[in-house]
Amino acid sequence: MKFEKKRATTKQEIPTASLPDIVFMLLLFFLVSSTLREVEVLVKFKLPEAKAIEKIENKRLVSYIWVGDDGRIQVDDNIVQVKDIQDIMYKKRENMPQVIVSLRVDRTSNMGVVTDIQQELRKAYCLRINYSASLKL
Amino acid sequence: MIKIKKRKMQEADIPSGSMADISFLLLLFFIVSSTIDVDTGIGMTLPDFVPPGSPPPPVVSKDRMATLVVNENGMVLLSDKVIAIPQIRTNLIERITSKINLPSNKKLIVSIKTDRKTNYHLYIQTLDQVKAAFFEVRDTYSLGKFGRKTIDLNEEEMDDVKQAIPIIISIAEPETV
Repeated sequence: MKFEKKRATTKQEIPTASLPDIVFMLLLFFLVSSTLREVEVLVKFKLPEAKAIEKIENKRLVSYIWVGDDGRIQVDDNIVQVKDIQDIMYKKRENMPQVIVSLRVDRTSNMGVVTDIQQELRKAYCLRINYSASLKL
Repeated sequence: MIKIKKRKMQEADIPSGSMADISFLLLLFFIVSSTIDVDTGIGMTLPDFVPPGSPPPPVVSKDRMATLVVNENGMVLLSDKVIAIPQIRTNLIERITSKINLPSNKKLIVSIKTDRKTNYHLYIQTLDQVKAAFFEVRDTYSLGKFGRKTIDLNEEEMDDVKQAIPIIISIAEPETV
């Protein structure tokens, strides 16, 4: 008597035809939920922590000023001097009157440099600022 | 009978097996080149620039002011008394709450003054406490009046809360050295 191995008659494959569609959906999600990286940060900084923080809803209005742990100040793609901030921010405000300036300052900095930047911003009439901070857990 | 065989048409399809790989590559590229992080932080509005030599601002009654001084040694003083940073919130909550029913020109003003050598992290923590105090009073107020927290209020109700408890934080004019 001949014994035949019993084989399942159904196909043993996972259908992969819809895999591209799934991946495209993922891709779309990431495209919609993220913004392209615009500038390269040249300074090293670690943000301070705080609890009562808010989100900035409109990311397009935000313009950043970085202050590194060595006290260097970066606006857009350049390292700048404190006295240049007024001109740069004034030009920015001409294009975008609603501009919010986000200060990404290293936590070990002194208030001196922050005060100087704030004075420059006040002269340029950029009064809406935001002290960037990460959530304290 | 001669059987006429239908000539089989050659199938003409593009191989789509590698489509998934291609789209994965695209996906990876976008993940790497984009940022998702939302910018979070403490929002403030700076006062207008006061050119040197202009007349001094009108004096505000002491009762209305809560002055916070963060000095270079890391000490925090609230109305000239040394205070630990976590205590600022509870201390301010009382003072803000007591002024809810007063007219808008009598609400509490918190003034923060720093030295040039003050550590930035310390300043942010102080500011955080002040903001937290205001937010908590707002939450309590809206819970009592509308039965919801401020996050769930609609615009009109939010305006009402903002009227009752405006967040007035003043950054003291830096001293010229």
